[in-house]
Amino acid sequence: MLGAAAAGGLGLGTFLQPCVADELAKNDKQVLLIWLDGGMSQLESWDPKPNTEFGGPFRAIPTSVPGIHVCELLKHTAKQMHHLAVLRSVCTQDNSHSAGVARINRGDPKNRGVEYPYLGSAVAKLLGPTSSGMPPYIWIKPNSGGFKASDAGFLGAKYGALALGDGKPPENLLLNKSISSEEDELRNELRRKFNDRYAVGRRTEWTDANSYVYELAQKLMKRDDLFDESSFTDKDRQRYGTHELGRHLLLARRTLETGVRFVKVNSYHWDSHGDNFNASESLISQFDQPFAALIEDLHQRSMLDNVLVIVMSEFGRTPKINSHVGRDHWPEAWSIAMAGAGIRKGVVVGKTNDQGTFVEDKPYDIGHLFHTWFKAMGVPPDKMEYDNQGQPLPVAHDDCGPIAELLV
Amino acid sequence: MDNTTLLSEFEPKPTKQVIEYERQLFQARFSPCGKFLIASGYDATIQRWAVSGNETKRLSPCLGHHAWVPCLAFIPTTERIVSADSWGQIAVWQYADETPAPVWKNDAAHDGWVRAVAVSPDGQRIASGGNDRMLRIWSAADGKLLKEWPHPEKIFSLCFHPSGSSLVSGDLKGVIRDWDIDTATVRRELDARVLYQLDKIQECGGVRHLSFNHDGKRLACAGQKTPGGGFSTGFPCVLVFDWDDGQLLREMQMGKNDDGFAYDAIFHPAGFVMATSCAFPGKGFVWCWTPQSEKPFFESTSIPNGRSLSLHPDGRRIALLVSKSANGNGRVLVQGVYQGGSAQIHILEF
Repeated sequence: MLGAAAAGGLGLGTFLQPCVADELAKNDKQVLLIWLDGGMSQLESWDPKPNTEFGGPFRAIPTSVPGIHVCELLKHTAKQMHHLAVLRSVCTQDNSHSAGVARINRGDPKNRGVEYPYLGSAVAKLLGPTSSGMPPYIWIKPNSGGFKASDAGFLGAKYGALALGDGKPPENLLLNKSISSEEDELRNELRRKFNDRYAVGRRTEWTDANSYVYELAQKLMKRDDLFDESSFTDKDRQRYGTHELGRHLLLARRTLETGVRFVKVNSYHWDSHGDNFNASESLISQFDQPFAALIEDLHQRSMLDNVLVIVMSEFGRTPKINSHVGRDHWPEAWSIAMAGAGIRKGVVVGKTNDQGTFVEDKPYDIGHLFHTWFKAMGVPPDKMEYDNQGQPLPVAHDDCGPIAELLV
Repeated sequence: MDNTTLLSEFEPKPTKQVIEYERQLFQARFSPCGKFLIASGYDATIQRWAVSGNETKRLSPCLGHHAWVPCLAFIPTTERIVSADSWGQIAVWQYADETPAPVWKNDAAHDGWVRAVAVSPDGQRIASGGNDRMLRIWSAADGKLLKEWPHPEKIFSLCFHPSGSSLVSGDLKGVIRDWDIDTATVRRELDARVLYQLDKIQECGGVRHLSFNHDGKRLACAGQKTPGGGFSTGFPCVLVFDWDDGQLLREMQMGKNDDGFAYDAIFHPAGFVMATSCAFPGKGFVWCWTPQSEKPFFESTSIPNGRSLSLHPDGRRIALLVSKSANGNGRVLVQGVYQGGSAQIHILEF
């Protein structure tokens, strides 16, 4: 019931064709986006070129899929390759963080004079919450948390992300023990009255967002178990690791289990312009171990058919190794990995040349991937568009389409 | 000698002799006989040049490694070198042969990246270590494994004490260990932790190079002070220890915090340290510093991006290896071709 109410609150039926909205309401697909901010090197991960000019020091190792090799730094992930799909022919437009982060997160649609939403906000709008009634978009990140409206773009603030800073609940979320549930309900009733009075004569997207955040908080207050790290088993902690990304991916598993539609996990400081290979050893191992554990767990819990998992950055890293033994920014030929809902298992799609410098076959931009992911989630992009106060806007780049080889 | 006197006698001056190589190299060393210059590279090769007076002639390379060859050391009393690569192979070569073939090699000497090799002063034993956290001792003559034991951290550097009594290891975390080889136990640890930092989520730095002076009373270790993640910025730094009591004699910090790693530091027989550092193009120093002094007596950025220094047996010539590889984001093509990096070996003279 909570889910239906929340879906209504997000206004699904107001911007989609009714038959599509009904279909989407039954859709319990979920998404986990792992964002490695700064840019993970494709050559030290998904697309190794051992013993070539730009290949670096590491070996390529076999995976659980015969014929597919990854860099030795992904030794745990290699054992889960039969669940994964890797696109090695990603070719995007920006080689700067400032432009690249937003462009990749927004799917790089054609410029129509509006600010498109990040993928999480787009999914929150397109699919709404799952039937669990949990918030549709949670962002697990280092440092501070709070409600991050900026991801939502033109969709409006309420499609933003509820950010859990270092996996912790938002400040003062949990009910003070001195307040009874009856007193709390009275407080909320008073708040709703104030809100209703305040809303009169004001634009609804502002007041709706304000009320929505309170509603979110109330739902989360009933799920304080989500934040209880002590309830994880020692075995889980060992398998995921006690480092930041390990803890956050373990929390992401639980967050998905509670039914959150879209979970984003950010890891920062991947921008290895100097000493790239020691940096990659240090950083990629922090990704590899918990990522492999997460894929294994989602599979064992029969969740992987329902959860789309995406691993990406704003770009890859240059094949060239600079004098500081680093790799710089390289959008020309890099890799994105994915798994789960609607995605083929155990495949590599696309190819870079022998040196890893450029895409050898058809290059794919992020627009193709947004189409692919929306299709994997059961959203038919060719039948859907946003309604931005009367302005029809396609959900992904008009000139791109889904990558058939990645889809089941 | 004071710094003024040292500078008057030991100012390294560039000659016009510059050896170009089309790929990047890790180190370039004069052979003990002085007739060869040997270098190991990113391209799985060991390059050789014959040295005669002011002339050098490129010879055929040693081929057979699989990946980066960061490790190279001469075996005393022989015309052999030992090399090791990032896929775990160790090989010994007769470097003066017309077409060198491995005297012996071991493709699986380590699991993965071998970071350091060192040869005992009597030329009988080779020590190796790397990412697999194993210290291994090999017979230099035939490659037989003599001893092995686990090391607490990734091994980044190794050297033998000139007496042969100690094997010294430097690790990622900035710990220097004095090993008794016979018992495979640590006699003591020296603290070089200023060369390591956990910066946010990245482990940075490490003891990148170790070397003793000729009588074994001083130990130099090279790296970067307060190394950062990402751009890997920090101060080039060489720490000089008194080997007898393990006390830090001098912290030789150079330049700014973007002048990179001190990749090499060697002792001149006159007692001063020569070192070089490398960072982004145009960054990095060559400097000479005696541990008795608070300041270097020579520093220069005229030839930046130094990766190694080697003193010729004549005591006058120095081979300074530098990296030539621009940084920059995105597509840079020269006549339609994507460019990699290269190397130069500059011959300097006192």
